[in-house]
Amino acid sequence: MPRIYVHPLPVRIWHWINALGFVAMIITGFQIRYIGLIDLMSFRTAVVVHDWIGFVLIGNFFIWLLFYLFSDKIRVYHPELSPMKHFRASFRQAMFYGYGIFKGEPNPHHVSVYQKFNSMQSMSYQVIMLLLVPLQFWTGVLLWDVKRFSGMIDLLGGVRVVDTAHVLIFIFFSGFIFMHIYLATLGHTRTAHIKSMLTGYEEIEEEHGGAK
Amino acid sequence: MVRARRQSAATRAAIHADLVNAARLAFAAVLLAVASATAGAADSALSQLDEQCLACHSSAGLEMKLANGDKLSLQVDAAAFAKSVHSAIGCAVCHASTSFENHPPVKTKIAGSREYSLAQTKVCESCHAPVFKQYEGSIHAALVRDGNPGAPICTDCHSPHAVMAKAAFDAASGAPCSNCHYPIYTAYAGSVHGQAAMACSSCHNAHDVSAAAKGDRLKSACLGCHQDALAAHKTWLPNAGRHFDAVSCPACHSPKAKRKVDLRLYDNAAQQRVAEKEGVPQFESRARLADAKGTGLDAMALQSLLRGFNQEGTDGKTTLRGRLEVSTGVEAHQLVRSAEAVRDCAKCHQQGADPFQSVTVSIVGADGRPVRYGAKPEVLNSIISVDSVGGFYAIGGTRIKLLDWLLALAVLGGIGAPLGHLTLNWLFKRYAKRIGGKEDS
Repeated sequence: MPRIYVHPLPVRIWHWINALGFVAMIITGFQIRYIGLIDLMSFRTAVVVHDWIGFVLIGNFFIWLLFYLFSDKIRVYHPELSPMKHFRASFRQAMFYGYGIFKGEPNPHHVSVYQKFNSMQSMSYQVIMLLLVPLQFWTGVLLWDVKRFSGMIDLLGGVRVVDTAHVLIFIFFSGFIFMHIYLATLGHTRTAHIKSMLTGYEEIEEEHGGAK
Repeated sequence: MVRARRQSAATRAAIHADLVNAARLAFAAVLLAVASATAGAADSALSQLDEQCLACHSSAGLEMKLANGDKLSLQVDAAAFAKSVHSAIGCAVCHASTSFENHPPVKTKIAGSREYSLAQTKVCESCHAPVFKQYEGSIHAALVRDGNPGAPICTDCHSPHAVMAKAAFDAASGAPCSNCHYPIYTAYAGSVHGQAAMACSSCHNAHDVSAAAKGDRLKSACLGCHQDALAAHKTWLPNAGRHFDAVSCPACHSPKAKRKVDLRLYDNAAQQRVAEKEGVPQFESRARLADAKGTGLDAMALQSLLRGFNQEGTDGKTTLRGRLEVSTGVEAHQLVRSAEAVRDCAKCHQQGADPFQSVTVSIVGADGRPVRYGAKPEVLNSIISVDSVGGFYAIGGTRIKLLDWLLALAVLGGIGAPLGHLTLNWLFKRYAKRIGGKEDS
């Protein structure tokens, strides 16, 4: 089966650090918010671990950002400027996941070096990587030292407002992570996409696609 | 013409009063000079004039009946007076209004013992003006101005004829503060500071005593001695600076205390707590208006109250700043050694934690004391309060319940959607197999 190199090394390093980090952030996030209900570790340990991993993730984000800013691979994130075209492609993709995949129809999206995301992915990853993740880092840093950033926090309406924004994004990621893992198993084999994120090479199905 | 005659009479009376005062002052000055010279010569023994006064005034049971029926003791403990710091100036300096012409008996009618003591504070002020000015800014003086008959004036703390030097105060006895604040003093005496025999004034100052909940003075008093406290807390307490702002020291250092949250109206433009305007108290009436049921402010009522304070051209600058504190003054004084203080974050950072079950909203009253109004604990957990209680949030403890439901929905959706998809996939395949089997047959 032909293979193409779609996940360069910096992207893979970023992805797996991010994956482990987000799982740790979600677990410690749950522990911080629900101490007494969940007791995996002490509140203080959860806060300290959450803070440290948060900073690692912020640093890690810049691996992703700098790689895409300084390489032509940024084209994978180029948005489709025609809304009709984007809508049609997204609809086709949604129909595939919602119906076609069950009948063994081929995936309407064909992976190439500069088009590794389908239209639904490209839109959602832009929102996630350029809006939600930076917003989560920003609110996280503000909450890390409320006193130091009190001016900014007051400007935003207070610590409760900042925390509510942080928690809303946490809620999104807590749901998203399950969907993300599941969607990753919908390659031409259950593990195809996961393997490609480890090796960098995506196997290209020539005749038909869909989950096995 | 009548008016001119009246004015002339008033002027004559004023001149006469001035002359009398001048004469009294001159008399006092002469007596002081004589008394000081005699005292100096006799090495702090009483002057001859003072001895003459005490010849009568040391008699047991000497008293006079005042206009309101009070009995004013006229007895002076001669030995105590001789030891007092005022023995050097003698009787006449403070009792300048008493002259040979009008004494005995005193011809001026005295309304009551409290009125007499209040009038005599002017005498204290004439020598101790800077200290008196400090006192006038105190909560004690504010209570006097409010007409509180129990509020302390100079002579309540400084026994008038046995005024001691500052160094002679016995900190261990708690006097004179313990005379009025006895329950607090008892609690304090057993605390880490009380056992170290620190005087009340070490934290509260002697004369410019302020209401405990006003400003940051008491916190500054703690940090005045415990200068490395913030650095020490930073070694183990995340967001230590924020804790110092939002949590009073006794909330953790008085571990057995019942804690509560006080949401303080705060003027962001002036960078200080909102205070009642003198003579026009509004807070309580506004709070009652917002709390129609009278069961305590709920989230909507709190928002409405806050809106009321922002309608007076303050441009939304009035916000609420929460502070976690202990419930009573007694508890605030039961401080323990730092090793015994609360260090378990879960005491506050979990749902249903004790401190968040009691909530008040407050403003600084005209006398400097906080005026509080009860609020329902739900104001700390309601989505409606995101804006109004924006300035107070304790992770876990005051979390917004609606977000808990959203989280449960997101996780269930995140798990449920793949499971549903897998099920559909399985059903489709089963159906396809059955159709295929039928076709085959």
